[in-house]
Amino acid sequence: MKTALSHYLPACLLILISLPAFTETLPPGVMRINGTTAPELQLNNLDGEPYDLKATQGHWRFVHFWASWCGPCRKEMPSIERMIAALGDNELEIVLINTAETEDEVFTFLGIVAPELVPLMDRDGQVTEVWQPRGLPATYLVDPAGRIQYQALGGRTWEKPVYLKFLRGLNQLESQPGQ
Amino acid sequence: MRIRMQYLIAAQTLCGVLLGTLLATPAFGIGKPYPGPYVENDDLLMVLIPHTPEQMAAFYEARGFPEEAIKLISDACFVTVHIKNKSRRVIWLETVNWRFSSNNQPLQRLGSNYWNTRWDEIKLPLANRATFGWTQLPVQRDLQPDEPVGGNIVFEGNLKTFNLDARFLTGAHKRGGMLDINFQNIKCPKEEPRP
Repeated sequence: MKTALSHYLPACLLILISLPAFTETLPPGVMRINGTTAPELQLNNLDGEPYDLKATQGHWRFVHFWASWCGPCRKEMPSIERMIAALGDNELEIVLINTAETEDEVFTFLGIVAPELVPLMDRDGQVTEVWQPRGLPATYLVDPAGRIQYQALGGRTWEKPVYLKFLRGLNQLESQPGQ
Repeated sequence: MRIRMQYLIAAQTLCGVLLGTLLATPAFGIGKPYPGPYVENDDLLMVLIPHTPEQMAAFYEARGFPEEAIKLISDACFVTVHIKNKSRRVIWLETVNWRFSSNNQPLQRLGSNYWNTRWDEIKLPLANRATFGWTQLPVQRDLQPDEPVGGNIVFEGNLKTFNLDARFLTGAHKRGGMLDINFQNIKCPKEEPRP
């Protein structure tokens, strides 16, 4: 009995000590997902410059789908602008994708609510179709290896400390193979 | 308008047997905090916002939809549905479990098959199809805690009023019981004729 206890006790203690490392507290509305490879994302931005998500591998990407007609998107966009300002020179890459609207619609909308942001233009909505978000707005967090690790559900108040802390912490995470 | 909510709690057993009706509350608060009939409890918020044909035409016209599409849209009754999971468990939006009725007869929605056929007929551009698609209520969603979902449900334009019995399974494996939400006498509004 004593032998068995002395055999298993260190193992139990090791598990207990390790538990916090395996538990993850996520901000409200952020969901861990299974690390599937992010779909292709090649689009021009509002200024006509090309962008390829693959070319930005090596750091975390905040990939956000939106449209100006969508109420929660309108509410969330200024929050994203404030989040970007608060994150400062954090290495998180912000990728905003407008779904199926024209330059005029996007320019008019962003000019009022978030003039500093330059989104990518998914003019016919086909890139959004491939990503299949749960709805608009939708945000994915893509790891440095190009895998989707988190998804935010609906609009979020990204400038709040709980989200900023989480986003800043991403760069401390190692991209774990197989996740 | 009378809206009644029946909140059926099922035992959290493998078979998910229903235990009984817990609560029935009126949906129209004095302060009308939402822009349409609604039900709100500890589990979810569900709001219905019926629109006039003119409102819907104006919305899609402003997004560059062609005239043929606007005509089809104006001939239908659009109701925007907003749902938010306020609970700590998964709530399953599955419109296959919803029953619409009018004058004691089952009522069919104009679903994605109907619209895809119409859009093919008029060769609606992809961008418009995408926008229309994203403005419709998804047919299925495993609503996570705190997750909202919204979109339109559509009926024939000659519809005057309808009832909705919306059932939602709960729990990650749909074994947490069922929520049953009823809306009655929801109007498809028409623009008043101008004098």
